[in-house]
Amino acid sequence: MFLILGRTIKESFINFWRNGWLSVVAVSNLTLSLYVVGFVLTILIVTNGILKSFEDRMNISVYFQSDVAEEKIMEIKKEIESQEKVALVEYISKDKALEEFKKNNANEPAIMNSLNIIGENPLLASLVIKADSSIQYEKISDYIGKASFRESVVRTNYSKNKEIISKLNGIIFKVKKSGLALATIFGFISAINIFNTVRIAIYTRRQEIGVMRLVGASNMFIRLPIVFEGVFYGIVASVLGTMFLFFTAKFGSPFISSMIPGENLLDVFKNNLNIILGVQMVAGVFLGIFSSWIAIRKYLKV
Amino acid sequence: MDISQEENKIKTKNISENEKMEENDKEENMEEFPAIKFEGVSKIYKNDFVALSDISLEIKKNEFVSLVGHSGAGKSTFLKLIYAEETPTQGTVYFDGRPLNKISRRKLSFHRRKIGTVFQDFKLLPQKTVFENVSYALEVCGAPRKEISEDVPQILDIVGLGGEMEKYSHELSGGEQQKVVLARALIHKPLLIIADEPTGNLDPQSSIEIVELLLKINRIGTTVILATHNREIVNKAAKRVIVLENGKIICDDAKGKYKVC
Repeated sequence: MFLILGRTIKESFINFWRNGWLSVVAVSNLTLSLYVVGFVLTILIVTNGILKSFEDRMNISVYFQSDVAEEKIMEIKKEIESQEKVALVEYISKDKALEEFKKNNANEPAIMNSLNIIGENPLLASLVIKADSSIQYEKISDYIGKASFRESVVRTNYSKNKEIISKLNGIIFKVKKSGLALATIFGFISAINIFNTVRIAIYTRRQEIGVMRLVGASNMFIRLPIVFEGVFYGIVASVLGTMFLFFTAKFGSPFISSMIPGENLLDVFKNNLNIILGVQMVAGVFLGIFSSWIAIRKYLKV
Repeated sequence: MDISQEENKIKTKNISENEKMEENDKEENMEEFPAIKFEGVSKIYKNDFVALSDISLEIKKNEFVSLVGHSGAGKSTFLKLIYAEETPTQGTVYFDGRPLNKISRRKLSFHRRKIGTVFQDFKLLPQKTVFENVSYALEVCGAPRKEISEDVPQILDIVGLGGEMEKYSHELSGGEQQKVVLARALIHKPLLIIADEPTGNLDPQSSIEIVELLLKINRIGTTVILATHNREIVNKAAKRVIVLENGKIICDDAKGKYKVC
C-alpha cells in the first residue's frame, strides 16, 4: 500500500514537472477560475458587511410619557426584551437624552438658547430597540401598538422611519439575491472551465494511457497519479488565486474606503482569509479530482 | 523497515493473485498447454470488414513464429486478439490454456503482464527516461524497489543500452528506441513476446539487430510471434512461417522462408 502510494505521489510530481507546459496552462486556467470565484466571494463578504452595518444602524425608539416612572420603564424594557425578534433594548433616560441633545446641537446657539429659556428638561425618556434583522421592525412596531403598556407610550419613531427601513430592506434583499445569482453563475462557469481544462490535459495524454494499459498497468495504477495531479493543480491554483486576490484587495482597498467610509477591504480580506482560501482550495481540489476521474474513464476502456 | 515489509506483502499478494488465476484450470498439467490456441476464430469489424475468418491454429511454447501477409491481411487483428485489445466475433482464443473471453476487465492487466509487446511505432512513454520506461513495466506489477534497481540495468545491458539509461526516448535513434521497447517487453519475464512490424521504421542494420535479439530471447525460452512483411527478416529467422491473406491462413510452414503461396 505504501509502495503504491509512494509511487503514485512520485509519479504525479514527476509528471507535473515534466509536462511543464501543460501544467502551466492547466494551473493558470484553474487559477483564473478560482480567482473569479474568490473575487465574487470577497465582494459578497464586503457587501454583506456593508448591509450589516446599515442594519445595525436601524432601530426603533419608543418615547414614554414624562410622568412614567423609571421603574415602570425598566419593567417594560424587560417585557420587550423577552420578545424573540428583539436583539437589544437600550434605556435612554431624560437626562441622558438631554446630554445627547446638547452635544448634537452645541453649534446651534438658537437651539441652546431656547433650551435655556424653557429651563426644564423637555425631552422624553425612551427605549431604543434593535431587532435581529431589519425585516422584523414592522412586527415589533405592531407589537408595541398592541402591548399592555401602550398607554404610557407617547410615540414611536417607526412610522417616521418606516419608509427608509422598508426601502433599505428592499435593497438588502435585492443585493443579496443578485449576489447569490452572480456567485452561482461565476461558480458554474469556473467549474466548467476547470472541468474542461483537466479533460484537455488528459486528452493530450490519451496515447500514454493506452501504452500504460498495454504494459499491463491496472486502471487504478494509471488513474491514481493522474487524479493526484488534479489535486496538485487544485492546491497550487487555489494558493495562487488567493495571492492574486490579496493584491487585488490591497490595491482596491483605498477605492472602496473612499466610496464607503469605514469599510476596509484589506481588513475584510484578511479576516476572511481562511474562508476565501478554504473555499478555493476545496473547490479546486474537488473539481480536480472529480474532472480527472471522469475524464480518464474514457481512455481506460482499451 | 515499514516500506520493505509492505513491499514483501505486495509481492506475496501478487503471487497469490497469480496463483488464484491459475487455480481456475488446475486440472491439467501446465506444460501441455500450447501458448496460443485459436479455435474457429473470426473477427468482423463494425463496418462489416472481415479481418479474420475461421482461423484455427496452435502455437506451442518456446516457438518462434513469423506472421507474414500484406497490409490488411489480418496480422494486427490476430495479435490484438492475443493481447485482448479486441475480442473475437466468433470462436475462442486460448492463452496458456485459458480462454481469453472469460477474462474480466479487471483481470485484463494481469493477462497483459504475461505478454511483452513490441510495435512499429515503439509506444514509449515520452515523459519518461529509458530507465523509467522499462521500470514502469515492473512497477505496474508491484515489484519491489530492489528488484527494479537490479533488473532494469541488467536488461538494458542485454539490449546494449546500458549507457543510455537517463536519456529520453526522443534523444535516441529508432533502432535504440526499439531496443528499449524490447527491454520493456522482457523485463517482467513474459510467457510470450508479440512483435507487430517491429522493424517497420528501422534501417536494415537495426532491423537485423532487433531480429537477432528476438531470436536470442526465443532461445532463452520465450515464445515469440513476429508479424512482418520484411522478406529478409523472415528468411534470417528461418523458423515457422504463417502466411495470412484476406483473413485466412494460406500457408503454415514449420521451417519456412518468406514466400507467396
